[in-house]
Amino acid sequence: MIVKVNNLVKRYKELIALDHFNMEVKEGEILGLLGPNGCGKTTAINCILSLLNFDKGEIEIFGEKMTPNSYNIKRDIGLVPQEVSVLHNLTVKENIDYFCGLYIEDKNLRKQYVEEAIEFVGLKDYIKFYPKKLSGGLKRRLNIACGIAHKPRLIFLDEPTVAVDAQSRNFILDGIKKLNQEGSTIIYTTHYLEEAEMLCKRIIIMDNGKNLVSGTNEELKAMITTTEKIVVGFSEIDNNKVKKLEDIPQVIDIEKRQDDYIIKFENGLNNLSNLLDFIKENNLTYTKLYSQLPTLNDVFLELTGKELRD
Amino acid sequence: MKNLFRNCLYIGRNSYRDKSFLFWVLIYPLILAMFFYIAFSGVMDMELKNIDVGISSESSIEFVLKEVEFLNIYKLPEHEVKERLQNEEIEGFIDDDLNLFVKKSGIRQTIIKEILDQIKQMDSLNVPIENFDFDVDYILDKNQKADTIIIVFYSLIAMVSAYGIFPGIEVTSFIQANLSNIGQRVNITPLKKIDFLLSGTIVSLVLNLLANGLLIGFMKYVLKLDLFTEIKYSLIFILIGNLFGIALGIFIGVSSKQNENVKTILGIVTVLILSFFSGMMSPDIKIMMDQKLPIMGKLNPISIITNNLYKVNLLGNTQNTLEGIIILCIYCMVLSLISYGVLRRKSYDSI
Repeated sequence: MIVKVNNLVKRYKELIALDHFNMEVKEGEILGLLGPNGCGKTTAINCILSLLNFDKGEIEIFGEKMTPNSYNIKRDIGLVPQEVSVLHNLTVKENIDYFCGLYIEDKNLRKQYVEEAIEFVGLKDYIKFYPKKLSGGLKRRLNIACGIAHKPRLIFLDEPTVAVDAQSRNFILDGIKKLNQEGSTIIYTTHYLEEAEMLCKRIIIMDNGKNLVSGTNEELKAMITTTEKIVVGFSEIDNNKVKKLEDIPQVIDIEKRQDDYIIKFENGLNNLSNLLDFIKENNLTYTKLYSQLPTLNDVFLELTGKELRD
Repeated sequence: MKNLFRNCLYIGRNSYRDKSFLFWVLIYPLILAMFFYIAFSGVMDMELKNIDVGISSESSIEFVLKEVEFLNIYKLPEHEVKERLQNEEIEGFIDDDLNLFVKKSGIRQTIIKEILDQIKQMDSLNVPIENFDFDVDYILDKNQKADTIIIVFYSLIAMVSAYGIFPGIEVTSFIQANLSNIGQRVNITPLKKIDFLLSGTIVSLVLNLLANGLLIGFMKYVLKLDLFTEIKYSLIFILIGNLFGIALGIFIGVSSKQNENVKTILGIVTVLILSFFSGMMSPDIKIMMDQKLPIMGKLNPISIITNNLYKVNLLGNTQNTLEGIIILCIYCMVLSLISYGVLRRKSYDSI
């Protein structure tokens, strides 16, 4: 294990920010910390990095106890904080060179790493720009470059795509995959479930400072009752027939959302054909009909009773 | 060492490209100097004439005072003293117990007080007063204009020396994870906080000394004010003033979690209040403070710098400079020790 967190408790006066939080990260994986805003993701990262005091628990990185004085461990860590954290009166290249130089003393190697980081985040055309002249997305890329230029073994990315346009977001996500392919272990916090699904080999779902469940995308989805959702829109349907929808085999819940019905099934076999048979038997016409596999949002919903997007 | 140099280089670049820094530290003092120069230009032309001092007929220091070329000494009977002072025929009267009586405050009265203080000191040290060489001490011997307003310019230089407060505040924000976003990044690097603090202090000192140099150069070559005759002591006070400013800035920086803007305002207010009482807005304030609350003049760091710059350059008096240097050094040490105690904390309760 490259990171091991055991029973971490962090209190802010009365508020329990981390409640016996546990986490294990294997070398070479992308681990997603998924949860709504305020669930304790950033607090967990700050405790792991010894930026924050904590009340209880043990933290090990690279097999050693992590403390504020663990300078050898810090040498192999990169942090991309949630907020853009760069020097505003240094240019793009100077910023990357400055932060890289705090880790890499060899001038030639540093030069090479800086060039590679610039290339990696796609800021080659902006090296002489000051951060304030960059768009939000480009600033985020610079923030990432400053955290990864020294090629760390372990990278913490704290919601790096918040308030970023779609183009930059895809660029960043592709970059993170590439970093992982190049050998870095990544801990990625997000409240965007699509990102976690797309990027992470393993995911820990957090709420109220606790890790609710952890596993691969598939393992998490297998933990819940709902296995398929079918969204259907009818041109016309009365209440009796809506009620009869519940009699279709395996239906566990029906939710009306605007003009559509979301029918949840507990077993993924023949659900669509059973629904089509029902439509035919009841002389109904549908305006839309499609099947959805459960998402991480469904996992979160079933575990907490609330939507992740809330 | 290599890291220290790199850190200084980049932190320095980041600071000198900061437009607000350039304005407040480099430009604003020049504007103030120009403003004071224009506002007081009428007064500036005033030459100090010989100072009329009354003494009692039995005065034990008559022979000493007569050695001071620019003093006109008058032996007066007690009943005439009040009238002469009222009519401004004399600037001050020294009685047998070496008490000074004046009708109003001003540069002439301050000079009399300075001379009297020196005589008292020598007396208390049992140094024969006749050994004292007044020829090297006071204004007219040096053909120096005794401009009352010069206090204002010394005070301005003292204020700029204390401007180290601003980079001091900035450097604490830079290295504290609970004060800035960049502090979080800095705190997970393999470099110790003290390395960043040292780099920040060096950069602050260099840039602030540059600001001092620019102001002094502007006064000398543009305003044609010849303020410095005693370079060694002046440099010492300017240097310690800078260190005091940085130490105070770091202290303000670490003392609370308020944002940098609030702390900068606090820094500005602190420097302005201290400068005000040291006579930057009017020399009369300094004279009034010296009379009513002399302890303030001894403790106010800007006053210490102003007074000593004034004394060593205008009066040529290098006595008691050590006292000022020691007090400023104590300030620096106390502020630095408290700040170090706070900065030594490695992780935070909240970010």
